[in-house]
Amino acid sequence: MTPPVLSVDALSVRLNMAGETVDLLHDLTFSLHKGETLAVVGESGAGKSMLTRVLAQQLPDNMQVSHGAVYFKGENLLALPAKQQRQITGREITYIPQEPMVALNPVMTIGQQFSEYLQHLGMNKKRRHAETLTALEDVGLQDGASLLKRYPHQLSGGQCQRIMIALAFISQPALVICDEATTALDAVNQNRVLSLIRRCQKKYDTAVLFITHDISLAASLSEQVMVMYAGELMEFGLSNSVLNNPRHPYTQALMQSRPAITGPWQPLIPLQGHMPGGSELQQLKGCRFQSRCRFAGEDCTNRIQPRLLDDDSHLVRCLITPSDEYHPSSPDEEDTFSEHYALGLLGTSEPFLRAENISKDYISGRFARRSRKRALKDVSFTLAPGEFVAVVGESGSGKSTLAHTLMGLEKKHGGQIYLHDKALGHSESEWRRRIGCIQMVFQNPNSALNPARTTASLMTQPMEYRRFLPSERRQRAQALAHAVGLNKKLLPCLPQDLSGGQRQRVNIGRSLCDIPQLLIADEIVSGLDVSVQAQILNLLLRLRREFKISLLLISHDLAVVRYLCSRVLVMHQGEIVESGPPQQVFSSPQHPYTKTLVNASRSAEGLEPVQ
Amino acid sequence: MLLPPNGSADELQRLRAALGLDQPLLQQFLIWLKNLLHGNAGLSIRSGEEVSTLILSALPVTLQLVTLAILIGAGAGFISGVLAFRYRFTPVRNSLEVTNAMALSVPEFLWGILLMLVFGIGLRVSPFFGEVDPRLMVEQQTGFLLIDTLLSGNPAAFLNVLSHYLLPSLALALAIAPTLMRILYSSLNQIYASEYMRSARLRGLPERRLLLVHALRNAVLPALNLMSVQAGMLIGGTLLIEKIYGLQGIGSLMIDAINNQDLPVIQAVALVYAICVLMINQATEWLQHVLDPRAGV
Repeated sequence: MTPPVLSVDALSVRLNMAGETVDLLHDLTFSLHKGETLAVVGESGAGKSMLTRVLAQQLPDNMQVSHGAVYFKGENLLALPAKQQRQITGREITYIPQEPMVALNPVMTIGQQFSEYLQHLGMNKKRRHAETLTALEDVGLQDGASLLKRYPHQLSGGQCQRIMIALAFISQPALVICDEATTALDAVNQNRVLSLIRRCQKKYDTAVLFITHDISLAASLSEQVMVMYAGELMEFGLSNSVLNNPRHPYTQALMQSRPAITGPWQPLIPLQGHMPGGSELQQLKGCRFQSRCRFAGEDCTNRIQPRLLDDDSHLVRCLITPSDEYHPSSPDEEDTFSEHYALGLLGTSEPFLRAENISKDYISGRFARRSRKRALKDVSFTLAPGEFVAVVGESGSGKSTLAHTLMGLEKKHGGQIYLHDKALGHSESEWRRRIGCIQMVFQNPNSALNPARTTASLMTQPMEYRRFLPSERRQRAQALAHAVGLNKKLLPCLPQDLSGGQRQRVNIGRSLCDIPQLLIADEIVSGLDVSVQAQILNLLLRLRREFKISLLLISHDLAVVRYLCSRVLVMHQGEIVESGPPQQVFSSPQHPYTKTLVNASRSAEGLEPVQ
Repeated sequence: MLLPPNGSADELQRLRAALGLDQPLLQQFLIWLKNLLHGNAGLSIRSGEEVSTLILSALPVTLQLVTLAILIGAGAGFISGVLAFRYRFTPVRNSLEVTNAMALSVPEFLWGILLMLVFGIGLRVSPFFGEVDPRLMVEQQTGFLLIDTLLSGNPAAFLNVLSHYLLPSLALALAIAPTLMRILYSSLNQIYASEYMRSARLRGLPERRLLLVHALRNAVLPALNLMSVQAGMLIGGTLLIEKIYGLQGIGSLMIDAINNQDLPVIQAVALVYAICVLMINQATEWLQHVLDPRAGV
């Protein structure tokens, strides 16, 4: 039997911090054979990117491999001389990055970047051009010759993504590492990218290491799944068996915190607490998941070795016996909601916001070169108090434009927005009225929060230029922290000291400061880990119960939409093509675009979700 | 000023009429503008010469000085920036930083004096006054001495002129090189953290190519922006440097004019300065368009 393409043996990576050491990756063992796909699943901080750094020999100076080996085609990669390592990186092992738009050098043409790379691979000038064109054709870019003369900013995100795939496969590598390559994409595009990667993989019989935080996606596209937590392997097995019969409590928790697109509505049970990192790991003995584990017992502080389960291919690092059946939901959780509650079947009340025939054009160029592009066309809808409405559609369909127009960040060119039956204008007083009722939660809490302000001052920022006593402001900050489930101790902290989920809570808390009637949320959970996402989703449901706020949710994740919203608007090329309750729209889509969207999401879901 | 102290009110009136000072201010300005369009910037109050001839004879000196200063400053800034970044984990970087801080903390006219004292007077390795050795005869063709000496096929004279220009342009260059190095260094740092550098490295491209091709082309853009801002400073710097080194450029013309309250000359020189700054800005902007495909989209 040929040796596996990649085989990692008891790999540990050690971080040195001021004389103290922590194993960021601990005792990692797995192997990957030719033509196979292995998905590495884990939340941020699980050590997935550390793994790619080891493979690429790009560890920062304060980290080193303290134990174990990485065998590539039977040779120990870590022991090879630097020159040979470089020969392997970029030739035998290639990468597909997460964000294609920023992964290409903006001041070089596509052609230059291809030919530079091929020259490095030692290809002569004549062959380079031909090879490039074939590679581009492989990824479905027909007009290769003209594409090569262009710069990255002249291409769309999809084209850049394809180019990155072409670049990764052009050297016919033995191993391709996809680092969250589809995370930011909607289901339709995600499917497109995945099938491209698959096609290229088949053609060259490449092994693919697919890194993702989405466990269902992982299971749908790979033969094997490896679940990581805090630098350790928690579960490893065939996709089918891991997805349908997860054995590790962490994997089970991951499955429970992910909304499903089909089946009956179920409350999400988010994992409490956070993943230990850095110095916390040092004090931790035994299982790294124990602090958040429902089944944790005294034995868990002992050193735990991964062990094989009965079917011989399923590896679990946990003490619980396989007979511990997997229970999809536990009724004893205090924070459960009824479907009635969650989906806002609260009886209808009069809508407070009406949007009628909103249209908007983007005008580019001047004078003769002036051109108009329709961004919104006759968009009409209403919102009632306490109603959660979702807007779905692919990127460029006008979702974000609609949100910005509603918020007043962009001017509309036609139509009218009525707030409490009064048309909204653009004067100063109208603006006050608007922001009193409507608030926006921005997508990325990392960039939306001023890094120089404390949590308390961020959340009560709207009170800044009005007559409030500092004590009132402090009180409001505490109330808001309570509302968004943030520990009061965090109020004097700066955003840099918060975790991703906490930041998003602050972000939401800030928009709640004046208790608006409507929150506009633009993809607020798309960048978050599954367990944090579940926390935020439940938070939104709880906020509705407390403040009766409405929500306009913009999302590309249909499962999230189904979990939260009672009505969904499907947008396509600036128009609302379909609307209705998510159950109905997703089960029997009418418009062709909705059909592709729903189908794509279903197949990304892969196998039937766990019941 | 143009009249003897005992001049009568009548004489004053006549002079005012001759100089056009009896006209409203706006009209005076329009007349000046109209004459300017015909290439007539008026007469110097002090010497009675045409201002345009004064400027035309002085301009080449300043232009040569500024061009040399930009070449030396930009060259030194770029090279030191790239070197500092390339060897950022070694003492090379620290020593460059120290040199940088020294260059930055001394104003350029003081550098002019210091360089003159050390290399001109102390070590006697370089001439430090005037544009060319008075014993050399150079045929005037374009007015640009550096070009003239080359045209007349006199390499010795060319080197002589060049050595005369060396110290003053070095002093000016010391004003622009340090900031350029800093900007280049920090933008290289930023670019090295970017995703496309990571991708390029993961493609296995050699480190030298990453720095010189991928990173530098992106890092040049902010540096170029800075250059256009500094151009104004540079031209302001010529005022004192020319005076210190006895170069008859428009800087020293300006200083003399200010001393003599020679308004037409001051006006015209200020205009020339403004045009120079605008032209340098245009040039850098054009360069930016050439180097950055995203510009102007």
